[in-house]
Amino acid sequence: MTSTATSIPFRANAAEALSNSPLRAAMRNATETFAKKRTEATASLPIEEWRTQASDTRLRVLENLGEYVDRFSANAVRAGAKVYRADNAESAVSIVGSILKDRAVQKVVKSKSMVTEEIHLNKYLETLGFKIVETDLGEYIIQIAGEGPSHIIVPAIHKDRKQVGRLFSEKLGCEYTEDPAALTKIAKKILRDEFLSAKAAISGANFAVADSGSLVIFTNEGNGRMCTTLPPLHIAVLSIEKMIPSLADLPKFMRLLPRSATGQMLTTYMSVITGTRKAGESTGAEELHIVLVDNGRTKIVAGEYREMLKCIRCGACLNACPVYRLVGGHAYGATYPGPMGIVLTTLLEGMEKAHPLLDATTLCGACGDVCPVKVPLPELLHKLREERVERGFTPYLERQGMVGFGFAAESPQLFSLGQTVARVFWPLAKKIPGLGALERMPIPAQITFGRSI
Amino acid sequence: MTREELVNLFIENASKVSAETVRVTTDAELNGALTAILADTKSVFCQQDTAKEKSVVIPPDKRIDDYTGASVCIEEVAGAIAETGSLVCSSQGGKPIQAGLLPGHHVAIVSAENIYEKLDEYFGALGDSPPTNITLETGPSRTADIELTLTIGVHGPGRLTVIVY
Repeated sequence: MTSTATSIPFRANAAEALSNSPLRAAMRNATETFAKKRTEATASLPIEEWRTQASDTRLRVLENLGEYVDRFSANAVRAGAKVYRADNAESAVSIVGSILKDRAVQKVVKSKSMVTEEIHLNKYLETLGFKIVETDLGEYIIQIAGEGPSHIIVPAIHKDRKQVGRLFSEKLGCEYTEDPAALTKIAKKILRDEFLSAKAAISGANFAVADSGSLVIFTNEGNGRMCTTLPPLHIAVLSIEKMIPSLADLPKFMRLLPRSATGQMLTTYMSVITGTRKAGESTGAEELHIVLVDNGRTKIVAGEYREMLKCIRCGACLNACPVYRLVGGHAYGATYPGPMGIVLTTLLEGMEKAHPLLDATTLCGACGDVCPVKVPLPELLHKLREERVERGFTPYLERQGMVGFGFAAESPQLFSLGQTVARVFWPLAKKIPGLGALERMPIPAQITFGRSI
Repeated sequence: MTREELVNLFIENASKVSAETVRVTTDAELNGALTAILADTKSVFCQQDTAKEKSVVIPPDKRIDDYTGASVCIEEVAGAIAETGSLVCSSQGGKPIQAGLLPGHHVAIVSAENIYEKLDEYFGALGDSPPTNITLETGPSRTADIELTLTIGVHGPGRLTVIVY
């Protein structure tokens, strides 16, 4: 079986991305800058110790995930929130839709959330007639462009300032400018009016605290704070694995998440939201609805890929990955790109759809080295590739080639004959024009490793 | 670490994240630090709830009660974290903490005795029933969403002044 009609066409997407030079320049700039900032921000700190502690805490949660989710739910309810469980994407979007329908809301301001991308919430709500306004600048840019995110931290990084300038003048009717500060100001003005007039907001959450029922949101722009303090109705949508045990565990993750994501010591804002506005308070939504999305997590946590769910979505593995650096996020044809995206997409959407993504790795191990919570990404990628072979999702020629190699490798005579044939005939074969890949392959060494020792 | 060392560490780290910092020890010094800010602005929101907020003198023609239209918000915040240079804003006691978010300039008064050295000290003592909203504010609002070019003052304030009193 090769690529089926339903599988993600990664090779075609990657080829297209590689021929797009502005995209390649933007991706190189973003990933190299972030990777460098991360390295600087973690130097001369006990980062290994922090990673181990954070990993242990995340693993402890995953080992008893059901219990932590129950505890979180009970405490959130105690603080005034309403909590819903959604088994899959369909049920999650319909819960959000019915909350909004019941309250006759027309417009919703939204702060950045990857899980709402995963469940395609905006599209669903738009078919119900709601106006959804993304308020993170990067999300706002891709929303008016009608595109998906290409990076989980900076979603519009595939666009340069000229493209954003043209987009704004075309869609917002403003005068063309390519000055990022001026473009930011234009978006700020439009979005300020949206914030002040919105009656409902949707946010995600970076963490959910089991012992207090709190939601924790990190932002730099302040849009997360606007969404969670101005409109009277706040709907938070998060996947169930976001749990941490208590507020005392939060500093561990505060030290790691921003440093790993953007190289900042801390994002500008970090809000801990616990329930609804109480009597005598002047901050907080009047209604807080929390939708806990499973969408396959309970199954993953019970299996051999559990550690993937330790991920805190910092994006460090994207910036470190030599494949992601070249092709960018859209080539993955999925919500989550890069090394964490390959693993998570395969687990969430199935091998049949995602198996071409398993080519998008060199197994170099850089992703595992930078992960702040020690998700063993190289190991998980390796395991999934083995599973792909076992389940017959590799191309026919590759499988036959490997069978042939296995046969030859078991016979020293045959192996040696193969080496000799390659040495003699390969340089000749390469001279035949029009052989494409063969022309680009290196000439076999005249002295092999076996003979040189 | 002595209280003054803690204050100095906080001021050093708050400056690193682009906050303007002032250390005052009397009401007169507090108002002195606010003179230039008040002269430059049209509208100031200040709830004047805490003792230190009450000692702030605001010209009556500049005072407004609706923070959504204010250019400057002056408030005493709940505390600060020296390690990260962060302010701790809390909804406790009826404070509208969004008032420090909407105006272009946030002026935060921090009582020296409310400065914690480490994040762990503060979060470790919060317990399981925290106020509805606690926000750590570390420097002015920022984005790098267009070509990673740093732009200050997106949705939140572009200017942050921290007065340690």
